[in-house]
Amino acid sequence: MRIAIVTPYPPSAGSLNEYAFHFIRFLRQKPEVKEIFVLTDELPGDQAYPADTDWQPGTATLRIVPCWRFGALDNALRIARTARSLAPDIVLFNIQFASFGRSKPSAALGLLAPMMVRAAGLATIVLLHNIMETVDLKSAGFGGNPLVEGVIRAFGTVSTRILLRADLLAVTIPRYVEILEKKYGVSNVLLAPHGAFDEAPPPTFDAPPGPLQIMTFGKFGTYKKIEPLVVAFRLLQKVRQDLELVIAGTDSPNAPGYLEGVRQANADLQGLRFTGYVAEEDVPRIFQDASVVVFPYTSTTGSSGVLHQAGNYGRAVVLPQLGDLAELIAEEGYTGEFFTPDDPQSLADAMTRLLDDPERRRAMGTQNYLAACGLPMAEVVEWYLIHAANILAIRAARGQTSGKLPTFGHR
Amino acid sequence: MALTTRTVGNVTVLELTGRFDAHMAPALLEWYGKLRTAQVVVNLAGVNFIDSSALAALTGGMKRCRQQKGDLKLCALQQPVQVIFELTRMNRAFEIFPSETEAIASFTH
Repeated sequence: MRIAIVTPYPPSAGSLNEYAFHFIRFLRQKPEVKEIFVLTDELPGDQAYPADTDWQPGTATLRIVPCWRFGALDNALRIARTARSLAPDIVLFNIQFASFGRSKPSAALGLLAPMMVRAAGLATIVLLHNIMETVDLKSAGFGGNPLVEGVIRAFGTVSTRILLRADLLAVTIPRYVEILEKKYGVSNVLLAPHGAFDEAPPPTFDAPPGPLQIMTFGKFGTYKKIEPLVVAFRLLQKVRQDLELVIAGTDSPNAPGYLEGVRQANADLQGLRFTGYVAEEDVPRIFQDASVVVFPYTSTTGSSGVLHQAGNYGRAVVLPQLGDLAELIAEEGYTGEFFTPDDPQSLADAMTRLLDDPERRRAMGTQNYLAACGLPMAEVVEWYLIHAANILAIRAARGQTSGKLPTFGHR
Repeated sequence: MALTTRTVGNVTVLELTGRFDAHMAPALLEWYGKLRTAQVVVNLAGVNFIDSSALAALTGGMKRCRQQKGDLKLCALQQPVQVIFELTRMNRAFEIFPSETEAIASFTH
């Protein structure tokens, strides 16, 4: 099978780049996959994607094809043209609503890509990491104006309808399947678990020597806001000095300059550290050094890759009381301490409950590790291949392809 | 969770009962390792819960059997289990039969 994947891909800092990295890492090891095209975004300036040095005999070849640009208006057209010229057996999209741009026109036009690719005669599967129906627009900063909120909801509905023109649309939370089937009357939505990135050995649950680290990880500035976390850290410092706050990651592509602004506003604060971009090889250390991983989210999102990573490394987590994350924890077996979003005192209290109780941290880390072990990414990839094979078989039976069936299960 | 095996003609029937989850999935993978046939029917009549790890164990078995020119077919799904298969659309990937008799017979048709 020859597969194209439309996604940001490291070193692009686009949202979902890490998910793509791990997904493709496992996908290329599947014997039925011969070739993978990564249709990714162009890097800024003269930067180029590094050559593929991870190829091993027996694994799929990987070809990086930068063919769209974050924020451009013609991304769907360029992606469709590129996909058609490469003629893969199937095109996967690893996206969320803001994958193609910060502005509404660029974001909306980019989401036409799956429909255009399918119109070009190619089979398509969309993995949609969030759905508009569950986004809390008030928390996301759009709640003040009912007209704006209505426009955004309408945009979400139209965009979702367009995305549902794909052969299959996968989501990571069962409730999302029910919402989409009920609202749009479709039957091409399915549940595909998020998957655990690494089959990590059992982690060390104890904190390393030195100050206890409170860590947050991700791309910040949109729905991940660290100001309440910084204020909560100041509150904690009034009662204990053995703490460090580590902000691991970069600005969201939608919020350039955000972290620098926070850093400058808190230049006086001892124990606050910004790591900048965290290279893949440094991710284990970042998590292993943390006593507590905090999720300073202000809005609901899809299944959190960072939560899975925290689970992989057996970390205790502090989460906001937002519908999606609470449900995710309940359904996937994770546990955490909860705080009220935008309430620094509530966040400080939640962190204190963990920082003061090493046994509680160990128990929580153990449970989260077991939850993360639930379904490895290798299995999730297997599910996508099964669905891809079914789509291609149906298309072949309908005469929609040249009749060349994938050799699922056979090399 | 209990795991019982019997043979009907050229078909191996695996009967599972109870909760089929991440704790049970390794036992199924171990069972595959001892399997000598590629024609398998998994009877899920006694299974009242299935999670993603268990589903992955079944898909792994299906793939293994198909690689050996056989198949792994399912039968007698309870409603909560059927819902999981529909939610994940794995009901399109497996051949699923209402009864064990029909599943076994499908290998000869």
